[in-house]
Amino acid sequence: MPNEKDFKVKEYKKMSDPLTQFVNHIRAIETGFKYLVKPNSRITLNYPYQEMVLSRGYRGMLRLYKDICIGCTLCAMICPADAMKMVTKEGKKYPVINYGRCVFCGFCVDICPVDALTETGVHDAAFTSRKDLFFDVEKFNMDYQGEKLTGLVKRVKAVTDPEKGVKYEPVDSNRS
Amino acid sequence: MIELSVLDEIIYYILRPEFFVPVIFPGLITSMILLLITIWAERKIAAKVQLRFGPLLISPRIGGLLQLIADLLKFVFSEIIVPARAFKALYILGPALLLSTSLLPLVVIPISTSIHYSLYVIGNNGAYVPIYVNFSLIAALALSMLTPIMVIMTAWATNNRFAVVGALREGFLMITYDVLLIMSAFSMAIIYGGVDLFGFVNFQSSHYLGILMNPISAFVFLVAMLLGSSRYPFEIVEADTEIVIGPYTEYSGLLFILTMGGSYIKTFVYSILFSVIFLGGWLPFSGGIGALFTVFKAIIILLFSVFLRSVYGRYRIDQALRGAWKLMFLLAIISMVLSFIWRWFLVA
Amino acid sequence: MRGCLLTERNRVNEEELKEVEIIVEPGQGQAELNIGPQHPGSGHMRLVAKIRGDIVEELVLDPGYVHRSVEKLCENRHYMHLIPLVERPTIIDSIHMNMGYIMAVEKIMNLEVPERALYLRSFAAEVNRISSHLYGLGILGIFIGHSTMFMWGFADREPFVEILQNLTGARITNSYVVPGGVRRDLSQSVKEFAIKAVSYLRKKIKDYENIFLNNPNVRARLENVGVISREKAIELGLVGPNLRASGVPYDVRKIEPYAAYQKLDFEIPVYKEGDAFARTLVRMEEVQQSMNMIMQIIKEIPEGEILNQRILKQIPPQRIKKWYEEQKRIVFPGYFASMRPPKGDAISRVEASRGELVYYVVSDGSSIPYRVRMITPSYMLIKPFMEIAKGHRIADIPAIYGSLDYFPPEADR
Repeated sequence: MPNEKDFKVKEYKKMSDPLTQFVNHIRAIETGFKYLVKPNSRITLNYPYQEMVLSRGYRGMLRLYKDICIGCTLCAMICPADAMKMVTKEGKKYPVINYGRCVFCGFCVDICPVDALTETGVHDAAFTSRKDLFFDVEKFNMDYQGEKLTGLVKRVKAVTDPEKGVKYEPVDSNRS
Repeated sequence: MIELSVLDEIIYYILRPEFFVPVIFPGLITSMILLLITIWAERKIAAKVQLRFGPLLISPRIGGLLQLIADLLKFVFSEIIVPARAFKALYILGPALLLSTSLLPLVVIPISTSIHYSLYVIGNNGAYVPIYVNFSLIAALALSMLTPIMVIMTAWATNNRFAVVGALREGFLMITYDVLLIMSAFSMAIIYGGVDLFGFVNFQSSHYLGILMNPISAFVFLVAMLLGSSRYPFEIVEADTEIVIGPYTEYSGLLFILTMGGSYIKTFVYSILFSVIFLGGWLPFSGGIGALFTVFKAIIILLFSVFLRSVYGRYRIDQALRGAWKLMFLLAIISMVLSFIWRWFLVA
Repeated sequence: MRGCLLTERNRVNEEELKEVEIIVEPGQGQAELNIGPQHPGSGHMRLVAKIRGDIVEELVLDPGYVHRSVEKLCENRHYMHLIPLVERPTIIDSIHMNMGYIMAVEKIMNLEVPERALYLRSFAAEVNRISSHLYGLGILGIFIGHSTMFMWGFADREPFVEILQNLTGARITNSYVVPGGVRRDLSQSVKEFAIKAVSYLRKKIKDYENIFLNNPNVRARLENVGVISREKAIELGLVGPNLRASGVPYDVRKIEPYAAYQKLDFEIPVYKEGDAFARTLVRMEEVQQSMNMIMQIIKEIPEGEILNQRILKQIPPQRIKKWYEEQKRIVFPGYFASMRPPKGDAISRVEASRGELVYYVVSDGSSIPYRVRMITPSYMLIKPFMEIAKGHRIADIPAIYGSLDYFPPEADR
């Protein structure tokens, strides 16, 4: 047990007399009113009209570089969710991935000895059937494109702000 | 006999208070529209304080105002499920009775003066009210006390334990807020020298506004209004995280919309009563604009009541009752003493 | 009247049934209220309350609605596979769950962690503590009807979750701590984010006090509700902020310091009263202490490596140059896929956000652990919750639930 006098045991003051209560009621209503009239205080990201660009190193969907892969099967061995499996094509072994199982932990990217896997930073892909979740080698070898963005969608970046909490600043770059 | 064309006759009969007030303004149609706008305003105000947008997606350019119409349509077409062991007749009739009794007090509250359209002439003005009685304050308060009985009946017919707990809470609160309302209204009646709501406004036009003469009574009336219509911080009957939604637990579809409407319309009717007793009703206008002005003042009180949602949690039932009987009752007695002093000062 | 739902398929024998059976005598004004999983105020579990009028006479918890058999799954997977698995029960507190398991594995493997990695573990742990406490306070707010506290708690969590996203690569499912160190290093943008987030929340504490802590409505709901005296708290086995709010100054970070806590200067708030409001105050003040610790770590963090030397030597040099020196991320050596610790067992304790978290890992020399046992802080709260709620009103059940910060998936694992 720790030395008792190192820790101070505190007590709080109970609120029981009506005058303090009345003053605190007024203060609470004042605080609520202050936030009601404060301009520019909302922090909602207006998804899907504003899409967030994530920072470098975000663990999203993956991309395989087929020519670099040496078929060592380390990625399939370390996958915690059994999402990656090896298939044999033209005598060489390649990984395929089942995005229904992937937990986006990034272990396979970290363990590949030749850096054949990279993260793409895409986090909001949507598929319409379970078969589409299973990426074979050819599909895995491509950059995940997804839907083409129309002019309506603006790309923003999340920036912490000392006044507002989180602010979304526009970023103009094409979706790569 | 004055000859009127057919169109003028129709307009005359539509604008007569016996039809206009209960059906169009501020009765059924206006209440329904105002109900939708109030729920929208409640969600938007709470969202602004809570750093988010509230309803936005349905009609982004007008701030999501049509969200409530979309919700209404969704509920109208939802399936109404009647539990097997509920008492079916009262289960289905309950919400309709709830809504209609909450609109009843509007038939005796005058909302403006009018020379052309009213049969009742008092002094040199006509009272724009469907039924004029010279005890209209007592009549309005008595008619407003029918709604809690319907709530308890609805909950009993549902045959669900959560509904019964909610109905018990409503039963306890019913006694409390009725007493507070009556005491506060009567302390104003002492100053004004009568129980006729039309005379209240006439008195206020020649002396001061009610809220300036007796602010304690206005405060007690406001708190009793919040207690009675289940607004925060007294949302005890429909406590969401304790008893699902109280008496209306098993309702779905159109019946659910009727029950939700009943509670907001009660707030609206009490707000109109507040604006007539304390804020001078239709002063300084008269006629059609006066009616709009009365309802405008009532809407301001309504918006304040729904603003409190973003500031408070909810009280426990025994804390609400204890506070009401210990503190508010005392304040109501003090307000009565204050109004005796005022009356003696004004008459002598 | 039975409190649990029985179908033909899962009939159990009578002795086990009596755990959740409530007898209600007729004519006494008693009823049984089933605050089941489908209820706005119950979280993911079932509460069965026996009420007389408005007073709760007996409250029985029925945990197990979200049981995922994490401990059994641990017996079939390799050591590295378990990192995303053991952090899932309390996903909002994932750094602590992760760290406890890895500390036990490091004790078995006899790995030393470099100092910079210890500081980084504390940094991530304190950021996670802030976001978990704001979550708990938000849930308390909505359970007593205060929707503004709920929305503000979740909104103000956002800058801290952004810090963790920039640091580790994911918002909540961090998987940040690996045997021997951590996965990524601090960069300039993470430091800036942390400084701005801390200054934002420090300014906002005043508004929290006005609208929630000093709000007479909230005080009336939380003062003198669910009082646990000091002796009862020790006897029932409470942990964490609940224990400190009853006057017992016990915190694993001071008693058995791990990570960098020996070198950091912080206080732990201890209150005497033991009611729901004291627990709320302990959590609010822990948030403030964590913010102080984050600023200290950013100033005082030493230079160095973030992974143990023995493991770092096994990574080929061109990979180290590309990933570690340029982007400050470590990569795994090949043998991480099937790590074989020596035979042995180890216990590790961490102070998670909700209390003391204990791991017991037994290794038999193969690449799959023999047994992993987690004692989570919410698991210790099941019995005290049932004891405290006796004699209170129906409306106090959500208040007690929210103030104890009981998290059902953590208790059920």
